[in-house]
Amino acid sequence: MKKVFWLMIITLCIAGDVAWSQQKDEHDEPGRTGDPSLQDEHGHEEGRTVKLTPEELHEFGIEVDVAGGGVIRLFLSLPGEIRPNADRLAHIVPRFPGIVTEVYAQLGDRVKKGQTLATIESDESLAPFQVKTLISGTVISKHITLGEAVSRERDTYVIADLRTVWVDVTLYQRDLERVRIGQTATIYVGHRRTKDNGVISYITPVVDETTRTATARVVLANEHERWRPGMFVTAEIEIERFDADVAIPKTALQTLDDHTVVFVEADGAFEAREITVGRAGRELVEVLAGLRPGERYVSSGGFTLKAELGKEAFGEGHGH
Amino acid sequence: MIEHVASFGLRNRLLIAVVAVLVMFGGYYTYTRLPVDAFPDVSPNLVQVFTVTEGLAPEEVEKFVTYPVEAAMTGLPDVKRIRSVSNFGLSVVNVYFKDKVDIYFARQLVNERLQEARDQIPEGFGDPEMGPISTGMGQVLFYYLEDTTGEYSLEELRTVQDWLVKFHLQTVPGVTEVLGIGGFEKQFHVIVHPEELLRFDVTIGEIIERVTANNVNVGAQFIEKNAEEFVVRSVGLATDIEDLRSIVIKTDDGRPIYLDDVADIGIGGAIRRGVQTRNGLEEVVAGMVIKLFGTNSSTVIAAVEDKLEEINRILPDGVRIVPYYEQKSLVAASVKTVTNALIQGIVLVALVLLVFMGGLRPSIVVAISIPFSVLFAFLLMGRLGISANLMSLGGLAIAIGMMVDGTIVMVENVDRLLRHARPADSRLSIIDRACREVGRPIVFAITTIIVVFLPLFTLQGVEGKTFRPLAYTVALAMLGSLVFALALAPLLAHVMMRRPRGVGEGKRDAPVIRALLAGYHPVVRHFVRRRWVAVTLAGVLVVVGLLIFPRLGSEFTPKLREGTIIVRLTMAPSISLKESTRTTLIVERRLTKIPEVREVVTRIGRGEIGAHTDPINRAEIYVILAPKNEWRSATSQEEIEQVIRDELGEIPGVLVNLTQPIEMTVDELLEGVRAELAIKLFGDDLDVLKEKADEVAAIVRTVRGAADVQIDQVSGTPQLLIRVDRQAIARYGVNVADVQRVVRAAIGGEVAGQIFEGVRRFDILVRYEPVARDDADAIRHLLITTPDGARVPLDELATVEEIVGPRQITREENQRFIAIQCNVVGRDIGTFVEEAQTAIVDRADLPPGYLVSWGGQFRLQQEANRRLAVVVPVTLLGIFLLLFTSFRSLRNALLILLNIPLALVGGVAALWLSGQNLSVPASVGFIALFGIALENGMVLVTYLNQLLGKGMDLDEASIRGACLRLRPVLMTAMTTALGLIPLLLATGTGSEVQRPLATVVIGGLVTSTLLTLVVIPALYKWFSVVPEGEVRS
Repeated sequence: MKKVFWLMIITLCIAGDVAWSQQKDEHDEPGRTGDPSLQDEHGHEEGRTVKLTPEELHEFGIEVDVAGGGVIRLFLSLPGEIRPNADRLAHIVPRFPGIVTEVYAQLGDRVKKGQTLATIESDESLAPFQVKTLISGTVISKHITLGEAVSRERDTYVIADLRTVWVDVTLYQRDLERVRIGQTATIYVGHRRTKDNGVISYITPVVDETTRTATARVVLANEHERWRPGMFVTAEIEIERFDADVAIPKTALQTLDDHTVVFVEADGAFEAREITVGRAGRELVEVLAGLRPGERYVSSGGFTLKAELGKEAFGEGHGH
Repeated sequence: MIEHVASFGLRNRLLIAVVAVLVMFGGYYTYTRLPVDAFPDVSPNLVQVFTVTEGLAPEEVEKFVTYPVEAAMTGLPDVKRIRSVSNFGLSVVNVYFKDKVDIYFARQLVNERLQEARDQIPEGFGDPEMGPISTGMGQVLFYYLEDTTGEYSLEELRTVQDWLVKFHLQTVPGVTEVLGIGGFEKQFHVIVHPEELLRFDVTIGEIIERVTANNVNVGAQFIEKNAEEFVVRSVGLATDIEDLRSIVIKTDDGRPIYLDDVADIGIGGAIRRGVQTRNGLEEVVAGMVIKLFGTNSSTVIAAVEDKLEEINRILPDGVRIVPYYEQKSLVAASVKTVTNALIQGIVLVALVLLVFMGGLRPSIVVAISIPFSVLFAFLLMGRLGISANLMSLGGLAIAIGMMVDGTIVMVENVDRLLRHARPADSRLSIIDRACREVGRPIVFAITTIIVVFLPLFTLQGVEGKTFRPLAYTVALAMLGSLVFALALAPLLAHVMMRRPRGVGEGKRDAPVIRALLAGYHPVVRHFVRRRWVAVTLAGVLVVVGLLIFPRLGSEFTPKLREGTIIVRLTMAPSISLKESTRTTLIVERRLTKIPEVREVVTRIGRGEIGAHTDPINRAEIYVILAPKNEWRSATSQEEIEQVIRDELGEIPGVLVNLTQPIEMTVDELLEGVRAELAIKLFGDDLDVLKEKADEVAAIVRTVRGAADVQIDQVSGTPQLLIRVDRQAIARYGVNVADVQRVVRAAIGGEVAGQIFEGVRRFDILVRYEPVARDDADAIRHLLITTPDGARVPLDELATVEEIVGPRQITREENQRFIAIQCNVVGRDIGTFVEEAQTAIVDRADLPPGYLVSWGGQFRLQQEANRRLAVVVPVTLLGIFLLLFTSFRSLRNALLILLNIPLALVGGVAALWLSGQNLSVPASVGFIALFGIALENGMVLVTYLNQLLGKGMDLDEASIRGACLRLRPVLMTAMTTALGLIPLLLATGTGSEVQRPLATVVIGGLVTSTLLTLVVIPALYKWFSVVPEGEVRS
């Protein structure tokens, strides 16, 4: 009779055993890759392929493109400020000290070269003389009031030719090496509403002691005077531009076991292929090795494929 | 003693009647107030501590939050284990208490220590809070908000949910928590343009300070004016976007710079870690109602539903609450399954009684024992705090047939004596005599049944919590039936039963019995004469049973069908919420193609903390099916699950599991690993742990018998690590904190006070505009202001690198660990563990401080086995002692025990024939079977002894006794079997758990009854006590 009860114990145990192994099975859903070498020490890509039907590609929004060349442009975004073009700036001072008797030009007036701005009575000769602008431009500063005593030490007017302006771009130390004279820069104001292109014409040879920054200068055409000195702008400098043999969108890149891969289509399956990435532009990235022109690769939606490859591994985990 | 009970009952009939009526009323009253659940709650006794730490990576969460909480919790009394998980932005510490600890006491303990932990957690790293006072069964109702107009934004809907629906629902008694998920929590966003900061020479820190400083109300006591007091208050709270816009950040040359100049201010959604979607079409806002621990599910749900009606009326036009999961249907269905079985069982039993008793009156007496026992059980269930659920009511259903046994024996004896009584005897004295005769065997028989259920009380863990209610109710009902049989049955017999009018041989038995006897008599005579035939027959049957036994499949506990299917998706751990939402919508669309699927609603990740802690790569799709009668491709839950599996197929990049709401929640709360063997490697350094875990796994794989060796995936979350360069910041005179302030505020955003709209409050979040922070390059260009006023880009002060970090850090016993799971195939686990242990000691080179612990289900099994190894023999001994005390004969006791293997054979055969597996409920069935078989044996042997005592010849006594006892033996067996038939045939919710049990009992009863009737009389000779006089006093 005791046997019977022991039988019962055994029954319970066996019941337990099988139940657990069954529960286990439930979690071991077979992945369609079925490749145990995924966790391979060197993470090499033999057989790291995923098969998907065209319907699935469509359903999951996976896009396939043909690898080819492309122009890659590298940019650097830096803060800058609009300044009057100092080469086209005139500080107007009276020839002689004297008393201002007439003021013609007001702040913001456009003046033509030689135009009379004000009349001053000389202290020495008591004769009036005219203050004339040296260049055509806009009055951007005026320190002259009727009856005021002016001297040669102080500007009465600052006339700027605003048809071109300077953009002083702040260059941080780490950017110094990459920014060169002659590079083009897109200048825009905060919300990218106003936008223009210019060329870097000058970079300060010294770095400011307080701010530890240098300045790069972009000369900007300003026919419509949209750019007003004092404006705070962002300069997007194209620091590099080159033709890459293989350029693919950044969205194609996936990281798998610490390696950068793209999914290449071969025989109806997608293989995770390790690639060497060169310089990266804003959207495109240069592929140095691993992808040949003409090959079909996944340009976006590769995450789904990557997830499919790693599927077994992200099982239930632990703790939950 | 026992006899006195009956006599006392007969003498004090009024008292007994009053007490009985009181018991029944009490039972009914308790029943109406009994908490009703679907299933027994198998959630472990635990207190969860959640800490939301916005934006912190797992390492920081562990260091600054999890560890202090854990440390504070150690040393609490009656704590079984502390386990923690540190995830991105969330720390969960589970404090598991022993089952005996009162949950409120446990929470109080945890709360006290939580104060300590709070002091240890740095400012701004989150506030640890306890989870809701609920269990895995507490999620009683899920709903989403349907916007028929399509005009409301997700922020607006979420605001409706959080400030209207939630507010009202929380007032419903029994609701402990209402948690929202989906949409966006409304926030006021101050989106700062970094170039404007540069222009106006302000920092993000200053902006945060300004916003906070310009958004306060104060009180200033009161002033007296003309004998009156005027309370002084100064109102300076920002109330809308306009107020925020006009906050002055600084004044430059008398010209104010407004917040509006440097930032865009608008209403936006908070950063979220969860999304709720529907039908593959849209995002929705949803909520879940969590029931208070220990409250009655059905009452709470009903109250919540009423409230929902009310709330629906006050919701904005076009918005409606749609419940998509209700536990109510499950509760109702399970209770219906068992109550149906109960009622059908009662009817069947009553029919059996009518047929066998051959009279209405005795049948009524017996039948009344069912309601009495059931109500008696309810009364005590209330006292013991057992809820009415599938298992406890199931226990009653199982016991129906057995409840009547005691009374049957009693009434049958009364009936028999009444028929044979001399007219001179008073009915009272006849009944008294009848009671005296069978009182003792009845007590012993019922006690035996209760005793055989004892091992069930020692089951632990999930099985224990599942089956203990059943054991309790069976025991209680049996106790009730004992009380009835001894105290009430004689009384009722006295009131109801009459002497048969025409006393004669022809009228002695019911026609059925006579027919049966006609067949049975020759058979039993045959076997008694040729005992060896009987022995051979029994032996052959036992052998057959032994042959079938190994062929039985086995499973742990059959899965309870909850009637709601969840498709659970696991996606790559590094996935973004946007991508997981996109993928989920695709899967939802696949599901909606199934004609039976009416609607699908999915929760991705987690919403408000309290119920779910899922990361965003986890999605749970609730599949709402059309009513069953509209199904075309399937007829049962299993089939529809298969249809779903087929339709979904393989989903690229997604693991699919089908589960059910309660099952899933409970699984999440349960401690421990599901695999047979869990090797836990404890240690400090995550990298070393990972490396060593790989090593250990490799070693274990080489051990013979190892299968499914799997290491926990602990890494896999990409991180952008900003490491401050101390040399560089020293050159600029910047503090680490200055850098981090900017990093935190600019990238993650910082809350700078709140905006109040009435009682509703919304955070003001200050953050950089997306282009300035949403990629590594932009982050490298974040400008940090030095004390000199210079602006330095972040990457001159820090290195910014992309790494792969841990996805979560799990800890147990205050230590980090990685678990290696493993199953063992084809060999004994014990030796496997020994071999693996030596292999690991020999070959794995573990650094100091790293240790391996062995656990998993095998440990639980070992414990269970050890427990059973004690409990089963003790039970056995108890039964044997009972038998021995009852019969005062070793031989008799042994003869009765012989019934057990015979019963077992039938149970095994029935399982095999019906294609079911050995499982815990089947084992419970076997236990019940033992009890019944023993009872049958006892009834028969008692009578044989009595006949022998009267000096009858042994063979003659065997045959006569067997024939005379045919009726009670058949009746008890048939009532029990028929009582279970409804459970066997039931198809409702929960029936899958009861079916194996019913199968075993019914099958076993068939063989055991047949064999009892032929084998015991045959073997009686060898086991009988030498008739030297009195066997029974």
